[in-house]
Amino acid sequence: MNTCKIVVADSDSKSREIICGFLKKKGYLVHTAADSSSALRVSRSIMPHLVIMDVNLVGGNAYKTARIIEDDKISNVIFITNKLDNFFYDWLKTMNIYAYVVKPLNLEQLFQTVEFSINNVNRLNELKTKIEQLETSLKNRKKLDRAKGIVMKMLNISEDEAYGYLRKKSMDMCISIDVVAEKIIKKYG
Amino acid sequence: MNYQKNKEELLRKVEELEVEFIHLQFTDIVGIMKDVTITVEQLEKALDNKIMFDGSSIDGFVRIEESDMYLIPDLSTFAVFPWTNFHKEARLICDVYNMDGTPFEGCPRNTLKKMLKEAEEMGYKLMVGPECEFFLFNTDEKGNPSLETHDDAGYFDLAPVDLGGDARNQMIVALKEMGFRIEASHHEGAPGQHEIDFEYDDALKTADNIMTFKMVVRIIAQRNGLHATFMPKPKIGVNGSGMHLNMSLADLEGKNVFNDQEEELKLSETAYHFLGGLMKHARAYTVLTNPTVNSYKRLVPGYEAPVLIAWSASNRSPLIRIPAERGEATRIELRSPDPSANPYLALAATLKAGLDGIVNKIDPPEQVTSNIYEMGAEEIEERAIDRLPINLYQALQELAKNEIIKSSLGEHVYRRVVSAAQYEWKEYSKYVSQWELDRYLRKY
Repeated sequence: MNTCKIVVADSDSKSREIICGFLKKKGYLVHTAADSSSALRVSRSIMPHLVIMDVNLVGGNAYKTARIIEDDKISNVIFITNKLDNFFYDWLKTMNIYAYVVKPLNLEQLFQTVEFSINNVNRLNELKTKIEQLETSLKNRKKLDRAKGIVMKMLNISEDEAYGYLRKKSMDMCISIDVVAEKIIKKYG
Repeated sequence: MNYQKNKEELLRKVEELEVEFIHLQFTDIVGIMKDVTITVEQLEKALDNKIMFDGSSIDGFVRIEESDMYLIPDLSTFAVFPWTNFHKEARLICDVYNMDGTPFEGCPRNTLKKMLKEAEEMGYKLMVGPECEFFLFNTDEKGNPSLETHDDAGYFDLAPVDLGGDARNQMIVALKEMGFRIEASHHEGAPGQHEIDFEYDDALKTADNIMTFKMVVRIIAQRNGLHATFMPKPKIGVNGSGMHLNMSLADLEGKNVFNDQEEELKLSETAYHFLGGLMKHARAYTVLTNPTVNSYKRLVPGYEAPVLIAWSASNRSPLIRIPAERGEATRIELRSPDPSANPYLALAATLKAGLDGIVNKIDPPEQVTSNIYEMGAEEIEERAIDRLPINLYQALQELAKNEIIKSSLGEHVYRRVVSAAQYEWKEYSKYVSQWELDRYLRKY
């Protein structure tokens, strides 16, 4: 995991330096941001594996900034906080990773949380992609079945013939069979 | 935006999309979008036109003793904000009504609607396509906008990513999801300057679209750590941001009436008269198309913005250009408006100018074929070419003299526009700028 990119967004220059220096020693590629807007700009520029964000980041609400980073699928965020209250825990539940670091910093704890987060995120992302793929193929399958039904009824042919018909159309038109199915459903369905 | 539905259908749609918050939007007289946010539970009440707000808290609306007003949502303007994932948000653009159920005459959207009705009674429908420019600047560590553009910012050292271009693409995606048809988008002349053009539509929809566009651009910029500004001239020495308006009239069947295949320039008599009206009243409506002190710093020679009141079918320098396309795309491009204008009022006033041209058969002066920027003072004088007002104060005086344009606004809006502009000018006149200090502090 040594080539992982991390953005450290903390307005406290001393704490930023400590975290940055420590993570660099651990082999990460670290970029820093001192305010919300630059956290967004840097993150969008380098698409890091993880963003570590202090909840007291200036220049905009840190929670909202973190939400943008996760909503726009730029990266995942773990918070650094000095105030563990209900609001924080409630917000944490809505984030991709349920992990945080407290101030004053324990660097070993920070390292463990970072490693844990990056590894879990990788696994999570793999699963997400798999689910998305499955969902798409299921959707396409349903579409194809519906289009087949329409063709069978219209041309009074068997299911195999209907499939053959759709495949031929797809090859003739140089478009995927799913698109052909979609067009047929739209026009005749 | 592409939803044209009745109340039940809209409620169903909102439930299906799991929308949680609805923004009821309207525009104040100075062109700033205002917003009353309700939860989805209150939507039915809003659709029954029962949502009230305090009109006295809005610039240029009403006095405190007559403050309760109603928001009447236009269902066809329903759109979900595509950038809201966690708690879905949507909006409805509203008209403002008085307590007694009559349209509030200080609501700019009502002003435009009234003007469009006048056009309709003459058998015309105004179609408009805007070209809206804006700047993207970086923000500083406090989140305040700076004048540093992403183009020359240091982040390129990090990675070769065009943050501004990326943000613009996200804006286009969001606008498309909200029902816009985007025609073109590109980086403009100045560093950090961008333009996104969307397809023409009827005037009311275009005015709504301009307001929505500005909101989307600002929000997406913010999500990118950038600040979008529609200020007409934010930087000295580079082009300002304009909002050219491509205008055409259609008859009630939707056929373009500016087109005439037989004529030399393939323009109809109606087109010439509309053009004549736009030119005759140009000095008077400028305070509406260019309503800020800063607007007039864009309207100076040398930066592709118009200065002289002239027209041309061939070159881009004068106030009005007739783009080469003909047929249904025949149109007149008014080049002076800037994006600080209230689009409802700017369109109402320019439409009135054009219609007056048609009613009184005003012929435009001869077109200018040479580059007007290179024209000498003598030639300008000889051809009796007038110029646009040089500042907000002059523009205001020009409006005061012109009863036709004043009538397009109605008494209430006119008075508020005047007091807003007067206040602006007074504040500006009091201010001692850096330019003056640099120029005079040592000299005198």
